[in-house]
Amino acid sequence: MVPAPENIIGYYGFPRREDIRLARERYGCHLPLVDLDVYQGAPDSGLLGTTTCRIISNIVDNAVFYSRRLSAVIADVGEGKCDRGRHIAYLLRGMGFQVIESRITEAEFENRPLVWSRSAGTLRERVNRIMDSVIDAAPPGDTPLPCAPTHGFWGVPPHDFRILDLFPPTTHIYGWTRCVEAGRPSDLELECSIDEGVPTVFFTQSFCAKQDLAHYLAEKFGGMEVDCHRDVNDSIGGKVEAFLKLS
Amino acid sequence: MLIADCGSTWTKILDTDTERLEIIQTREMVKRDDLFFEIATGHSGKNRCRLYRNELIALAEGSLSLVEEEDFSVVDVGGRDLKFIRFAGRKIQKLDWNLACGSSTGATIELLGNYYQADFDALAPSRKWINVTCGVFGMEKVLEHVSTGTDAGESLAMFIHGLVRNVFDFTGRPDRLFLSGGFCANNCFLQTLAKYCSVVALGRTVPLEGLRGKHHLEEADLTGGAP
Repeated sequence: MVPAPENIIGYYGFPRREDIRLARERYGCHLPLVDLDVYQGAPDSGLLGTTTCRIISNIVDNAVFYSRRLSAVIADVGEGKCDRGRHIAYLLRGMGFQVIESRITEAEFENRPLVWSRSAGTLRERVNRIMDSVIDAAPPGDTPLPCAPTHGFWGVPPHDFRILDLFPPTTHIYGWTRCVEAGRPSDLELECSIDEGVPTVFFTQSFCAKQDLAHYLAEKFGGMEVDCHRDVNDSIGGKVEAFLKLS
Repeated sequence: MLIADCGSTWTKILDTDTERLEIIQTREMVKRDDLFFEIATGHSGKNRCRLYRNELIALAEGSLSLVEEEDFSVVDVGGRDLKFIRFAGRKIQKLDWNLACGSSTGATIELLGNYYQADFDALAPSRKWINVTCGVFGMEKVLEHVSTGTDAGESLAMFIHGLVRNVFDFTGRPDRLFLSGGFCANNCFLQTLAKYCSVVALGRTVPLEGLRGKHHLEEADLTGGAP
């Protein structure tokens, strides 16, 4: 007899650590925690419009894909996510999912050291290590040394991680991803803090409200704004390549 | 030696030995197995050349070949994208590439022009504009205007005015703009843009000039400074 697939607990954004702990206690500490922001191979559910930020679509597509295996969804509905994150929490509840709404307030901000944001190494891996810290706040055992930045990547973890592979290892991480590492997901000052003189790509998913910030900051710091809807294509690769090469 | 700028809709091929320039539709170019280039830029050229050059870099280097000024802005309005570079002291101060949307690009206006059989040289600029949020929305507005009685030519001129505003904003509203690409031959576009800023048309071969290699940009030629 084939065992039934294991249930999971889904989450998106950066929920409060206490809410994650309580959800695990309630639904099973042994259940894997799955980041619904990340493409998990789910087919398009078609429940959202085509001009929806791909990360938000991923959440809904993943939820539909996992369906009954999804014991609960811990939904970041605070300022650290976005209005659409709040809206789809409502939508998912209406679809019958167990939704736990979670909001990190300023009073709960942490002040964790910026290890992966400021070190050298594969950008893809460092972004992943930062995002892992949402569910496991333990400090890394293999702490890398900081490096001087040659380039910057500002933004959220992209839908298509291949864009990260274009950057050199000496790229520092800024924006929301840095906020996550610091444990301060809605700290707008930190999100907009850039090292002047570091040529930075300001990345957003298309149709994301953070495009406003990316545009403003790219103008202010002489960086390049890049938005991408679904997969990274040759044009986006060429744009980033030109910027990195000439900077 | 054959060098080529293989754009989305048009391919520009230059024989540097004879200086003969051939411009063919890219849809025709991709059918020709005999075409292989020493150096190429543009998506369709990637697998047809010995040396491939990034499009934005080719545009930057071509601009430096053709323009002698210290500080200037150049924009290439292509078939499906917009590329912009601002130079300060002949170093790149700002570059951008509007990739995904046809809101300001040649393919959209070619489609409309073909459909309405427009002569863009004879088409008078319009003081009104259509808000070309994206290419498809803009086309829908043109169709709406025509269906409600606006002359097709006037509707197209309004669309072009919308494109011009997008280009002007995308380039940071400069006082003077060097224009590259097929719109250099579109009189209505040129006249409309001239209402916003001084325009110098460089023609369709700016990236090809970059491929000639007279000006090689080195790493760190981007100043990274705010405007």
